[in-house]
Amino acid sequence: MIQVQNLHKTFKVSTKEPGLMGSIKGLVSRKYITKTALKNVSLEIKQGEMVGLIGANGAGKTTLVKVLAGIIHPTDGKVDVLGFNPWDRSDKLRSQMALIMGQKAQLWYDLPALDSYMLLKEIYQIPDVLYKQQIEFLADVLQIKDQLKVQVRKLSLGERMKVELMGALLHRPNVVYLDEPTIGLDLMAQKAVRQFLKDYQKEFKPIILLTSHYMEDIKELCPRVILIKSGELIYDGALQTIQTQFGERKKLVLTFEDKLTAPPQIPSELGTLEVQDNKLSLTTTRQKLNPAMDFLLKNFQPQDVTIQDPPIEEVIESFLRKGRS
Amino acid sequence: MRYLRLYLHFLRFSFSRAMEFRLDFTFKIIMDCFFYLVNLSFYKILFMNTPTLAGWSEDQAFVFVSSYLFIDALHMTVFASNMWWLPFFVNRGDLDSYLTRPVSTLFFISLRDFAANSFVNLLIAIGIFSYALTNLQTPYTLGQLFFYLGLILNGWLLHYVLQMIFIIPVFWTQSSRGFNDFFFSMGMAIERPDLIYRGWLRYLLTMILPFSLIVSFPARVFFGPETPNLLTHLFVVTIVMWAIMLLLWKRGLRAYSSASS
Repeated sequence: MIQVQNLHKTFKVSTKEPGLMGSIKGLVSRKYITKTALKNVSLEIKQGEMVGLIGANGAGKTTLVKVLAGIIHPTDGKVDVLGFNPWDRSDKLRSQMALIMGQKAQLWYDLPALDSYMLLKEIYQIPDVLYKQQIEFLADVLQIKDQLKVQVRKLSLGERMKVELMGALLHRPNVVYLDEPTIGLDLMAQKAVRQFLKDYQKEFKPIILLTSHYMEDIKELCPRVILIKSGELIYDGALQTIQTQFGERKKLVLTFEDKLTAPPQIPSELGTLEVQDNKLSLTTTRQKLNPAMDFLLKNFQPQDVTIQDPPIEEVIESFLRKGRS
Repeated sequence: MRYLRLYLHFLRFSFSRAMEFRLDFTFKIIMDCFFYLVNLSFYKILFMNTPTLAGWSEDQAFVFVSSYLFIDALHMTVFASNMWWLPFFVNRGDLDSYLTRPVSTLFFISLRDFAANSFVNLLIAIGIFSYALTNLQTPYTLGQLFFYLGLILNGWLLHYVLQMIFIIPVFWTQSSRGFNDFFFSMGMAIERPDLIYRGWLRYLLTMILPFSLIVSFPARVFFGPETPNLLTHLFVVTIVMWAIMLLLWKRGLRAYSSASS
């Protein structure tokens, strides 16, 4: 289990005025500003949960992951990962954890992945039987048996991500931090990595904290999401709830028996109208949903009526822009 | 044992990689041979003008300088390339993945890259060192020789510690070039006998920045007469330097902010 209480992290960053004079001034007296990366963050993640961490660039996602992984020290607050304080960097915790950063290679670039795996076997003291099982299982699910003896630098980006994933999961960690695991991958490779993570989660039930800019990753893998804005946790709950409760826009779709010949007259304040064949769509706001529905049902006789939520990407974007209020 | 097995992996990886870049492999050997030649010639020329240097005869000075070449080759082979990379690891955030491994981060970042192309030079340096020892006129026992070799290895580790002390500030300063340049300038003191220095400079080089303890003190112990003071001084300062380095390393990791993604 991961427990975080009132986590704060601030960085002291030096500033510099532009130009050479600015540099000279900075040499004599440097000015610093304090940047708050995490503000009063509290959360709890149970064993076996797969949680998506979402936020704009610079929101504090990576800082949170790095604090949880014991890479950086927080300014204040308490963190407990599997019963350990992560920045004590105890070997007992580190041998149960994996950090995968999509943008950073962790395997030896000039050597085949299998060579690096031998080193990882030694680092994590993986017993021979488990090592063989994991190699077989992971290579099979990721479909990279043939690539394991090829130098990592000669692999495609997708293959490289797969061998990195495999290396990070060899020791069967109980906590996995995944930072942008599908970044730069083509659609096929993204799909394969997602499917693999799904299977892996099902099989071994680790905690997986996933940071990704691809909403597809989050939608497919994470029933629960945590939204961070300017270092503050602004939402922690089901992905579906954001969509249904916080989606500003709603789409009313009326289906008719026959094709609509002329666009019907609807007051513009009710929303934006769209007509296609025998379908009439009205995009409106949550507040105007009831009056819009009343108006449409009074004036038309549709065969079917549906209310659609806007795409999740859109909801989250507006959520992050405005916040919960 | 586990760390030894890890190191054997590092060795295997490094040799496999070095063989890939043949030209670099050969060029490094030629460059280092040139460096050895310059150093040996310097002392040869000195002894053409004086019979002794800081009380040492030519054959003793030859042992001294070849000991330095041996330490330098050992350092270049085992530590140097790792230490060169450390500031980059800190600034680019590459240290992250080492910090999450259940193994000493200091061990990992100090030893992961064995410079296989310097290994040939290490063999040459060992050859020069052995030749210098066989030419030494001062009589010595096998026990004294092993003791001297132990002190030389201590000097090699002290050299590593001192360089680390100059690199670790990168955690706070982001650039350690100034510190590194200072280390190399001061490091020239390793190549000279400590007795040529006097006053505050001598105090500095034997106590504060003890570069003279790397080769000069072991050589003085070897050539005799052996004084307990010299040995106590050598060990106390070495232990203190190790403690300072470990403390700085711990503090540095605490200050590590990693690079943003």
